[in-house]
Amino acid sequence: MGVFSETRGYVAECWQAWNRFWFRPVDPATLALIRLLAGAMLFYTHLVWSLDLQAFIGQEGWLPVEYLRRIQDHQWSVWSVYFWIKPVWLLWTVHMLALLVFFCLMLGLFSRTVAVLGFLFAVSYAHRVSPGAFFGLDKINCMFALYLMLGPCGARYSLDRVRRLRRGDTQPVAPSTAANLAIRLMQIHLCIIYLFSGLAKLTGENWHAGTAVWWALANQEYQSIDMTWLANYPLLIALATHLALFWELFYCALVWNRYTRPLVLWMAVFVHGGIALFMGMITFGLAMLIANFSFLKPATVRRWVDPVADRVALMLGGSR
Amino acid sequence: MAKFEQKKDLQQTAKPVQQTPSPAGNRSNGDIVWHPAWRWLISVLIVLHVAAVFSAPWDLSTLAALPPGYQAGSDNLGRQAQLPPLDSEVWQQPIIPRSLRRFFRHYLNLMYLNHGYEFFAPDPGGSNLIRYQIRDSGGQEIIKGQFPDLTTEWPRLFYHRHLMLAAQTGDMGPESGRHYAQHLLSVNGGNTIRLEWLMHTLLSPKQVLEDTPLDTPQTLVVLANIDETAGARVGPPPGETAVTIPGGGR
Repeated sequence: MGVFSETRGYVAECWQAWNRFWFRPVDPATLALIRLLAGAMLFYTHLVWSLDLQAFIGQEGWLPVEYLRRIQDHQWSVWSVYFWIKPVWLLWTVHMLALLVFFCLMLGLFSRTVAVLGFLFAVSYAHRVSPGAFFGLDKINCMFALYLMLGPCGARYSLDRVRRLRRGDTQPVAPSTAANLAIRLMQIHLCIIYLFSGLAKLTGENWHAGTAVWWALANQEYQSIDMTWLANYPLLIALATHLALFWELFYCALVWNRYTRPLVLWMAVFVHGGIALFMGMITFGLAMLIANFSFLKPATVRRWVDPVADRVALMLGGSR
Repeated sequence: MAKFEQKKDLQQTAKPVQQTPSPAGNRSNGDIVWHPAWRWLISVLIVLHVAAVFSAPWDLSTLAALPPGYQAGSDNLGRQAQLPPLDSEVWQQPIIPRSLRRFFRHYLNLMYLNHGYEFFAPDPGGSNLIRYQIRDSGGQEIIKGQFPDLTTEWPRLFYHRHLMLAAQTGDMGPESGRHYAQHLLSVNGGNTIRLEWLMHTLLSPKQVLEDTPLDTPQTLVVLANIDETAGARVGPPPGETAVTIPGGGR
């Protein structure tokens, strides 16, 4: 009986903890900040396709749709609106519409609607270039778009908010369960990304040996700032390699602890900042940093962003 | 220097409109507003979604294994032992990751989650480049170039897309190179094209300290050449199968 009641108590406590983790309403400030930044990233990423839209996204181009569908094994679930769009004028029209959607998502105009459309477009572009020209940025962009759909991403730092204020709706932004759910899923997803990125590195010899950072920095096609002077400092290379590997491997555990979280997040700033600055992947580095913002508490976000957001809202005629 | 917020009192001063949890608030479920039935349903969906997100990189990073101590026999001429064919029963397949990913595959595809996260793994390697030379019907060179090319592809993200095109040819097989060739012919005109697929290998710290330039010609290794004529029909080579979609690393 004692064991039974203790087990029942344990299960009840677990269920309570589960509920607190997933279903406690939170201020949507963190989700709104991620919408603003991820919306900008989505807009920029897709704007760049405009430089050679037909070659990358059109029916023919580098990899014709017919060929791509064949090597994708014609799976119905690998989908893209660009598999069906043939006339060039329609391709450009849909592309412009997609850019408008991403721009509105960034500004937070009709946020809930454009978040759904933004996800559909983001996946459409990603599948059109997979395989071919995709890389990690597309995975992270689609992750953002997926979770932004789930919560009130336009509740703050958005034109939607300004419009509400201008209409005289001065109700404070309500805590939201859906916002918590979206942020929690993003956090878990990010932990999975780092875990498998770290585990994959364990199968290589250079990450173990402490030399991998050298080979990454010595790649001329990637480097944006020449860091080969580090050849003089093998100890520094080894330290950076080991730190990066252990940080990735243990991110999924250490980021949940209040004492280790700041260290883990600052390490993310250095790692992804380094990738952005030195390895020519500014967009990917920034996208990963934005994903790490999901671990910022709403109060922190509000302390940083509210003063700026209030000024912008005043300029737009929607006082707080 | 930014502080990552942990203290409840800061939370209270910074967001006056937000609900302020009681001292025991973090442990209380009093502020949870969704109906229990709704929470149960969403909980099931959460578990399924997280399992799906986990299954794709897990499966893609898990290789089939040979039994410990497996010795591949040499042939009767004593030549180097070969690994058994992929469909051989000797290979032990990772049952759980394979089954999970197969179960979730359509959901993963629909959501663009069917991939791994092998960034710079297992080891950072060299890059691929594609050089091309287009000639007219008289054999005169019309144009030559390469991609990726930092001097013509700007901004950096646009350059990176071309870098990926060159890199992913390796995953897709030779037919992709033929499509690149046909595309370049249709854009630039001309009758024939030679495409050179290169690997730019990396220099060690010692070589760099000896002042060897990163792009010294010895670092460029030709992996394949593709000769193509304008208008030629590009089809699958015999025996080609579909690749895993959307792929592993990068």
